[in-house]
Amino acid sequence: MSESVPPASVVLVSGGSRGLGLAIVTDLLAAGIKVAAFARTVTPELTALASKYPDHLYAGSVDINDSPAVQAFVKTVESTLGPVDGLVNNAAIGQDSLHVHTSPERLEDIIQTNLTAPLVLTRFVLRRMLAKGLKGRIVNVTSICAQRGYPGLVAYSATKGGMDAATRSLARELGGRVLANAVAPGFFASDMSAVLGQTQLDQIVRRTPTGHLTEPEDVVPVVRMLLLDNTNINGQVLVIDGAASI
Amino acid sequence: MSSVARDRVRELMGEVMTAQGRSLPADDGAELRTIGFRSLDFSELALRVEDELGDELNFDAPGLRRIATVGDVLDFIEQLQTA
Ligand SMILES: NC(=O)c1ccc[n+]([C@@H]2O[C@H](COP(=O)([O-])OP(=O)(O)OC[C@H]3O[C@@H](n4cnc5c(N)ncnc54)[C@H](OP(=O)(O)O)[C@@H]3O)[C@@H](O)[C@H]2O)c1
Repeated sequence: MSESVPPASVVLVSGGSRGLGLAIVTDLLAAGIKVAAFARTVTPELTALASKYPDHLYAGSVDINDSPAVQAFVKTVESTLGPVDGLVNNAAIGQDSLHVHTSPERLEDIIQTNLTAPLVLTRFVLRRMLAKGLKGRIVNVTSICAQRGYPGLVAYSATKGGMDAATRSLARELGGRVLANAVAPGFFASDMSAVLGQTQLDQIVRRTPTGHLTEPEDVVPVVRMLLLDNTNINGQVLVIDGAASI
Repeated sequence: MSSVARDRVRELMGEVMTAQGRSLPADDGAELRTIGFRSLDFSELALRVEDELGDELNFDAPGLRRIATVGDVLDFIEQLQTA
């Protein structure tokens, strides 16, 4: 029997400054894991965590689209916390515009930030892991939009569907040495979803059998499980939406 | 950037409605829900205005969700042209 993939010990979380990313960072730190987090702006919340966990959290201000800066950040993380063996691709930008009224430049931005940049980051982290003979875990944060249609989210949904597809192929390609999975949350309250009107939120809640919107706290334990537990889950997209989409 | 005048936008809005066998009331206060002017009709209008303007008027959906009357449509298109 081949050996299982050990729990991740140093996890890199993109977009760890607020919203779900910050909740993931907070949870992993509480679980005793070393965490590196970046976003374009380091928030006071992330800075506070860095003071609380000086030996366990390394945070920086990096744009995921600036590949050299991202690579330099990963190398600094390695020398500060140790080799990265866990990656959470969480950073993303939202969309709330009909496809015909979204400029081609905006489409490019969405695809660059939500699909190209995480693939480039994943490639870089994997190269470092494999070169060091490490096993590891990848969790991609995608969305229910990858599986169900929502107006105003055409390009965004395309990027999330792309990441779901990449997750499956990564799991195959990495031959069990790195477990690759995705979590696909339903809508939750954050800066990204702040554009949703109350009517839309009420409608989502009405259609959700569990009767409430997904919350970052619902997603966090699943991400933790995929990073730390011994489960043999690989190449899967786990939907966390209270069955709203079923 | 040149702009398409409010009256002309109103005419174009009328054309969008006529093409669907409906008519545009003269009252700017008329409710879009009542006259059956939906978000894709707004898209069609915006694209017709773009055609006359020779430029794109791209915009996010939240602004669109706030428009409720004929006057709101005309205001919104005006706003987009000056943005
Ligand atoms: N909110 C929802 O309803 C919902 C539903 C399903 C899935 N999701 C997914 O969940 C994840 C987290 O979403 P959220 O709602 O927590 O979003 P959020 O509150 O807007 O946070 C996004 C995070 O990504 C970072 N980020 C954005 N662009 C970046 C860039 N160019 N470089 C580096 N970091 C960048 C942001 O920081 P800076 O802006 O400072 O860079 C922030 O830390 C995303 O993948 C999203 O697609 C969200």
